[in-house]
Amino acid sequence: MTETVLAHTESVCPQCLRRLPATRVAENDNVYLVKACPEHGAFRTVIWRGLDNYVAWGARPGAAAPPRGAGPRLEGCPFDCGLCAEHRQHSCCVLVEVTERCNLRCPVCFASAGGTRGDPSQAAIRDWLTALYATSPDVNLQLSGGEPTVRDDLPEIIAMAREIGFDFVQLNTNGIRLSRDPAYARRLALAGLDCVFLQFDALDDQCYRVIRGIDLLDAKLAAIDHCRRARLGVVLVPTLVPGVNTQAIGALVDFAARHTPTVRAIHFQPVSYFGRYPRAPDDADRITLPEVMRAIVAHGGGTLNAADFHPGAAENPYCSFSGSFYVDADNRLHAAGTDQACGCGSAPTRAAPRDETQHARQTVARKWAAPAQEAAPSCCPGVSVLSLDAFLAQRRRSLSISAMAFQDAWTLDLARLRDCYIHVAHPDHRVIPFCAYNLTAQSGRSLYRAD
Amino acid sequence: MKIDPGNGLKLLCAQCRLPLVSAPVTVRYLGQAFPVELPRCPQCGYTYVPEDLATGKMLQVEQALEDK
Repeated sequence: MTETVLAHTESVCPQCLRRLPATRVAENDNVYLVKACPEHGAFRTVIWRGLDNYVAWGARPGAAAPPRGAGPRLEGCPFDCGLCAEHRQHSCCVLVEVTERCNLRCPVCFASAGGTRGDPSQAAIRDWLTALYATSPDVNLQLSGGEPTVRDDLPEIIAMAREIGFDFVQLNTNGIRLSRDPAYARRLALAGLDCVFLQFDALDDQCYRVIRGIDLLDAKLAAIDHCRRARLGVVLVPTLVPGVNTQAIGALVDFAARHTPTVRAIHFQPVSYFGRYPRAPDDADRITLPEVMRAIVAHGGGTLNAADFHPGAAENPYCSFSGSFYVDADNRLHAAGTDQACGCGSAPTRAAPRDETQHARQTVARKWAAPAQEAAPSCCPGVSVLSLDAFLAQRRRSLSISAMAFQDAWTLDLARLRDCYIHVAHPDHRVIPFCAYNLTAQSGRSLYRAD
Repeated sequence: MKIDPGNGLKLLCAQCRLPLVSAPVTVRYLGQAFPVELPRCPQCGYTYVPEDLATGKMLQVEQALEDK
């Protein structure tokens, strides 16, 4: 058994969160992040299973886009987030947590659920959104929590975000409230919601009981149907937990394909470990991005290829993959192209350099919102565009397949963190990279969340 | 065929003063080709793309191709 050091980087100690030198090490077919704390010992965690594509996958296609108004480096990454001058990407998608309350108690949740603080007032949220819009008017906004739908004034918050000027507003939800009332989905759509980012872990209730604590499949199906009726685009978001639902990756893709064009995308999130863990997670408790890709390709039975998937163009390539497909009348997937993609959307071939983050934002907005209504027929006789009609009909059933690997205290690679463009709006007007905001020591101590 | 835009008036080529006629045209974008029929001047070949087509279906196709 031989080890090869692939690169030197930095990480943190999972117990005390001090910054540590780290190495990415290849052994057999896997890549590990290896580090040692002088106080708490050595740590070695798998980060990539599939050495054959690891180096090629990391070729960086996009130029860095440093954040606007970055603060100075004081203690260094990851302690100066807000963002600091070391950060390499400005914001693409920004999460705003509108409540800490939740109507579930999920064992895998990394959000701040079940908090005891009261909800922020609409005035406070307006203040956050206005400050965010002043520095980053073109970000995609995700309303998150907690479970945002426990707030009865969510439609007003959505309308406020649109009034302030945000072009694309999505809702991160478990779907329970959406499932109970079809009129609620219509209210959210009328308020200006574009997309429902729906937790959707499995197609059987046994998995929901393990991951979410209760049976939820019927609620998920009803929520999707109500979004269909309200013309809200849906992104299915399975959290992948080894031994629980990883065997269902292919079936989840099939389900997503059958439910296009309401379902616009399926976005896998390999489980990461935030919060209090008496025992460090084993490598067997983790699934890495190439394993998710291989499961999708294998399920396709020859119709899908590894080459249909690409690393993100704007964020660190080891954080995500995506591929664009369209669905035929028999619900089979066909690759829509082979261009460079981004982790939560995709991007086309281009002749000149461009702002990859801005392009990712716009592409995600189009691909995750409900498909455009059919354009009106041309007024003029002598015009026949049957080929355009056929193309648009086909593309209405497009499906994005993507995944994002969040980093926890064991897997955190500061080189990846500095490339992060998924940020969280802090109440004090800073924006914090998602993985830094949710980072916790094994004891549960957080760097950025208020206790 | 002569083109009537719907208001009883014929579309004329501003340069040749001839009525436009429906003609096969191939529109291309990002490597894709779409055979369509559009009003065209039989003399100089000038092709007319109605505004609602340019800002409607053509734009949707362009965006779909850019998103692939």
